[in-house]
Amino acid sequence: MDFDLESLVDVEQRFYDDGYHDGFAHGKIHGSIEGRALGREKGFEMWEELGFYEGFALMWQAIHAQQSRNEDRTAHHIRQLLDLIGQFPRVNPSATEPSDLDIPRLFRQIRSRYKALCATLGVRPTLRAADSIAPNSSEDAENGNSQSSTRPSGSKSVWPVQSIDNQRSGEQFSF
Amino acid sequence: MDPFSDVTSDDEAVWLEDPKTLQDSEWSRLSSNFTNAGYREGITAGKESALQQGFDEGFAEVGAPLGREVGILRGMALALISFLTASPDQASQQDLIQELRDISSELSRIRLSDIAPRDLEAERHAREHDIEGNTNGDEMDLELTEELKEKKDMEKLEDLMMQLNPEPASTSSAKRPTMDDVRRLKERLAALSVRLQLEPRWS
Repeated sequence: MDFDLESLVDVEQRFYDDGYHDGFAHGKIHGSIEGRALGREKGFEMWEELGFYEGFALMWQAIHAQQSRNEDRTAHHIRQLLDLIGQFPRVNPSATEPSDLDIPRLFRQIRSRYKALCATLGVRPTLRAADSIAPNSSEDAENGNSQSSTRPSGSKSVWPVQSIDNQRSGEQFSF
Repeated sequence: MDPFSDVTSDDEAVWLEDPKTLQDSEWSRLSSNFTNAGYREGITAGKESALQQGFDEGFAEVGAPLGREVGILRGMALALISFLTASPDQASQQDLIQELRDISSELSRIRLSDIAPRDLEAERHAREHDIEGNTNGDEMDLELTEELKEKKDMEKLEDLMMQLNPEPASTSSAKRPTMDDVRRLKERLAALSVRLQLEPRWS
């Protein structure tokens, strides 16, 4: 055993670096798999709700066109609702550039526009969000935990994960 | 104490062997300690480096389009139900309303996991872990996040409840819907709109 201390330190660093290098490559695979799974879930959850409003508005638009009813208020709400939904991103904006789009606000506007449309139609609103009150509120708690433990600060720009969920759970009780 | 008793620990055994072996074992212990420490740090950093991109990819390519597809159909079905149930000649349209309710309830059974394309990289990687066995088990707490795990558990519970509930013993509740079912439901909805002489923009 005749290695000197200098080279020993070097060697330690090299072992560490080798390990780090392999670990990084492996972690990257897991990060991208896990990120995809999360993104799929969030995208589905949000757009299923938005799509619901969209389909609802489109069908009522067709009904009104067929009956050549031109009730201003209803037509106005439908146009506004479809317009708001059209503004909602289908791609996470963090992928492109930091955007100043206020997602929770847009979501709020869409929901209240949908409710306004239902009111003029004399239909009871079905808030899709309400379907999942129970699972969601518990998920939110989980989300908070896992977020702080696994998310690097750089990922805070994943806008849908936190903002909308908090938004939603906060709003659920007011309906 | 008798140093040659058969209860020699590993450490003692090392001293009993020749210096070359000692050097080797010391060497490999050192190497694996530092390599493992590096590996652990690296795996965390690597994971964080790829999470965001994966999220964006899953959101844009799978989650948002599929969610929108299913959501629009549900919204359309519900709009038609509320339209028909409010119309004065409701009785004559009872069969249409029933058809819409069927469509609607089948749509509401659909989960992302039923219609999402397979994540081939995830499957391939899971297989690699299987082959490796559990050699680096303690580093592999990287599977699903709590949130996704919880959702899976919830869905399993739902399935269980379905099985326990003997009432709607329809064959359709036995197996999970697929993307083909979504397409068929869309066709049924389209056929219904035609019967009602409605031409919604299918966007």
